[in-house]
Amino acid sequence: MSQRFARARRKEALLAYAFLFPSFLFLATFTYWPIIRSFWFSLHDVVLGDPEIFWMGAENYMRVLDDALFWKVLANTAFYTLTTIPISILAALLLAVALDRKLRGMAIYRSAFFYPVMIPSVAAGMVWVFLYAPGYGPINAALGAIGLPHLDWLYDSDLALSAIVIMSAWKYSGYFMLILLAALKLVPSDLYEAARLDGVSGVQRLLHITIPLISPTLYFVVVIGILHSYQVFDYVYVMTQGGPADSTNVLTYYIYQNGFQYQDIGYASTVANTLLVFMLGLIGLVALTLGRRVHYLGEK
Amino acid sequence: MATVTLRDICKSYGKSETVTNVNLTVEDREFMVLVGPSGCGKSTTLRMIAGLEEITSGQLLIDGVDVTDLPPQRRDIAMVFQSYALYPHMTAYHNMAFGLLKTSKLTKTQVDARIREAAEILNITDLLGRRPKELSGGERQRVAIGRALVRQPKVFLFDEPLSNLDAKLRNHMRGELKRLHRDLGLSIIYVTHDQIEAMTLGTRVAMMSKGRLQQVDRPMDIYLNPANTFVAGFIGSPEMALIACRSDQRGTIRHNAFRSAVELKADNLPNDVLFGVRPEEVSFSRTAGMAQGKVEQSELIGAEALVQVRLGDELMMVRCQVSDAPQPGSDVGLDFDLSRARLFHAGTGQAINLVRE
Repeated sequence: MSQRFARARRKEALLAYAFLFPSFLFLATFTYWPIIRSFWFSLHDVVLGDPEIFWMGAENYMRVLDDALFWKVLANTAFYTLTTIPISILAALLLAVALDRKLRGMAIYRSAFFYPVMIPSVAAGMVWVFLYAPGYGPINAALGAIGLPHLDWLYDSDLALSAIVIMSAWKYSGYFMLILLAALKLVPSDLYEAARLDGVSGVQRLLHITIPLISPTLYFVVVIGILHSYQVFDYVYVMTQGGPADSTNVLTYYIYQNGFQYQDIGYASTVANTLLVFMLGLIGLVALTLGRRVHYLGEK
Repeated sequence: MATVTLRDICKSYGKSETVTNVNLTVEDREFMVLVGPSGCGKSTTLRMIAGLEEITSGQLLIDGVDVTDLPPQRRDIAMVFQSYALYPHMTAYHNMAFGLLKTSKLTKTQVDARIREAAEILNITDLLGRRPKELSGGERQRVAIGRALVRQPKVFLFDEPLSNLDAKLRNHMRGELKRLHRDLGLSIIYVTHDQIEAMTLGTRVAMMSKGRLQQVDRPMDIYLNPANTFVAGFIGSPEMALIACRSDQRGTIRHNAFRSAVELKADNLPNDVLFGVRPEEVSFSRTAGMAQGKVEQSELIGAEALVQVRLGDELMMVRCQVSDAPQPGSDVGLDFDLSRARLFHAGTGQAINLVRE
């Protein structure tokens, strides 16, 4: 009896693996193999299009450590992430709270704030190049109108990265808003009513009820946000090409430059692997700090 | 503690009116139960008292002060919700402390003293460190009541607080609420759809239907003298039989199944009346009886039996001793307790005043 049972279970397990195989094959081809391959490349001198490769050992990694530009690019990426994520999440949270109510025409407002997400990033980049334009750009026109000096947004090495941060926050916040709005809908309304009867103010309700109760979603949004912003490429490519003076050069753009402009695939792979390590490290740090404070709703 | 006065309170959403002209005074230390079927406007009325719903028209006074336009936190009330509405990320202790710490001028020690005292009363001292998900339904409800108690408000509002509990726990908590009300002298307004809760808990019961108050009275008065057929049908289980009869001006009530006319005294009786009889106000006659019926079925419910009897076109329930229950299909004579019988206007459903001797 038990033997028959064991055989049936084995059969079931085999069937499960058979069903899983296609997606495993897909993952292996497009995710695992490239990771292994890029690690392999990082240990060699590889030139794009040249079939001959030469063993270099850890030399590429030593080069990364000595590469002043790499450290600058890393710092830019960190700055970009550590500003874009808090700004866009804060904006998204405030928008979501403001839009989480029953009012006439609310769907229109929600769509309006979500709209930036639907614009292709290249098109959005082009629009912001126009908005930031030094002479005729609407942003400078607005600054001028209130008596402030014009700024060379994308041409000033002290300002260009911040300009991309503003643009990214605009683009991300609609997306985060939608996710947070869904989370807000799950907070039972009688909790707010109980708090109102207790005399707890709106800000206190936000801090002590809303934020703790949507913390799993906030955590999710932070992690997704970090993954997105560490991989930022399109805005930089369209708006500044990493300039001026590498002030907006970020890791993925630097990988692209090394791999496809300088055709140094070995070094590009090394930077990519370093990026992976940093990203895992950062996510780990977030998991250990924020993740510990997440409160999950629901029954036991 | 305080009195609560509702004057011509109305609530409408757009064109549909859900609460119409409610006039009600809840006395100090009274346990007022708002009862009625779902959708009758009782919860809306309670939420208007709480300040969670805007009052469309009318006036709400607490201790004589007009609070109609005041926000909930300035009405000095506390509410216990059907879903408990405990903050899931806080312990029982913090659930009770949160509002007090954020809004009152009490020190931490004073807040702590209040929580310990309420916990003692509610027997939840051991549970204070737990979060809601680590508590059973009954324990959560106690914490929710505790959260209201520590506020020491003028009025307590309960919105179907026992509906989510199982039957046994519900009975138990009903007793606890009664004890709390008696021992602490609280003013309570309590919403339920459960007639047993209404009858057992209320010092007075306000019966609602279709957004209107039907009757406000002490539980026994509501039971014995319902103001209309709706109240007669809602309170009492099994419900009161309403037998359609013909009447003349002098109070002679006739029905095909009656052996002779029933004589009741009243002024200006309409031609069509409903003769209202509760199951315990009918008995099986050893002689021919006042009316002739046929037993449809008989149910044993422990010490008693409920017998369904057909009276002409109508069915009525008779409550009797198990040993007295006749066999289904048998013809029986029935006697009515005329000292408790009542008549309703067949058209309007309103009770008719009888002259009792």
